[in-house]
Amino acid sequence: MRETIKLGLILLIITVVSAGVLAISNNMTKDKIAELEMAGSLGALREIFNEEAKFQPLDEGKLNEIIAVNASIIEIFEVYNGDTLSGYAIKTVSKGFAGDLIVMTGFSNDGTVAGMKVLEHSETPGLGAKAEEPDFTDRFKGKAVSDEVTVETLSGATYTTKGVLAGVNAAREVFNTQLSN
Amino acid sequence: MKLSKVFKDGLINDNPIFVQLIGMCSTLAVTTNLVNSFAMGLAVLVVLIGSNFVISLLRNVIPDKIRIPAFVVVIATFVTIVEMFMKAYAQPIYQALGIFLPLIVVNCIILARAEAFAFKNGIIPSIVDGLGMGLGYTFALVVLGAIREIFGAGTLLGKSLFGAGYQPAGIFVMPPGAFILLGVLIGIFNVVRNKKTSSRI
Repeated sequence: MRETIKLGLILLIITVVSAGVLAISNNMTKDKIAELEMAGSLGALREIFNEEAKFQPLDEGKLNEIIAVNASIIEIFEVYNGDTLSGYAIKTVSKGFAGDLIVMTGFSNDGTVAGMKVLEHSETPGLGAKAEEPDFTDRFKGKAVSDEVTVETLSGATYTTKGVLAGVNAAREVFNTQLSN
Repeated sequence: MKLSKVFKDGLINDNPIFVQLIGMCSTLAVTTNLVNSFAMGLAVLVVLIGSNFVISLLRNVIPDKIRIPAFVVVIATFVTIVEMFMKAYAQPIYQALGIFLPLIVVNCIILARAEAFAFKNGIIPSIVDGLGMGLGYTFALVVLGAIREIFGAGTLLGKSLFGAGYQPAGIFVMPPGAFILLGVLIGIFNVVRNKKTSSRI
């Protein structure tokens, strides 16, 4: 009995110390990580829309409502051209061939896809990884949002294409039902 | 025990990849190009040195009965620290390594060195062992990654090597190619290693 308590205490001390060390390194890195994630999103947004557009994260209450219904949504940005709301950009997570695909899809209020960008993926280099390239992402530009978006499949990367489409279409549905009105 | 021998054991005689064949999963998965291989090697190197150091330091404090959970806590702590810093300061590489970075926790090289070496030896030899094993791992990964990138994508460090006319041999960057190439490299490595040992006698 006494030995069990002693063993437990030693393990407790080790875990407490390591938790402390982790807390310190988390504190050292978390601002930088948040900043980089924001910069990554903004970079993608600028590529999808034009350079002059302004981006504003969607009101948090509304975002949480949408996420509660549709779990694949991560973030939503409002896109402003000057002072007018010209569209939305929706970040989604979907299953690729080898892991999660984080995709940002931009929609214009005229009912078309403004553009798409794959932010994170772990697809096979040379096959699925080609989903990042403009050659593939450009296939989404200008598609109408009234129907399910389909594109020509990347050769050798059927699952990747399906995964990207799942993300884009989840975003499209949210855009159609919750955002554009 | 001589430190130079400990170091050389890790790098060559007991090379974790080419001789011990441990930690294969991440090896096969991340070596699709040189940069990823090198980054993964460095991450493992840092974790290995750190965990060997701490475990050797605590070897008289940790009772035998709970050594494995204690090792895992120490290793997981180092891996998480490396992960946080890579995410903050080397994001492209962090993204390329993906799931295999947190999975260093269960990489058997690190647990094996903790159990077989650091728990039984002093601090300095343990650090040297971590350095040797880590560099041995990095060395194996870099060789694999360089060859796979050159033939599988026709590039090295992202620069095109053979001009536009080269049709990459896609098998090299795919999982079966990794197995085939690793097998060939293990064969070559061991022939060279055996020759050296027998000529010494």
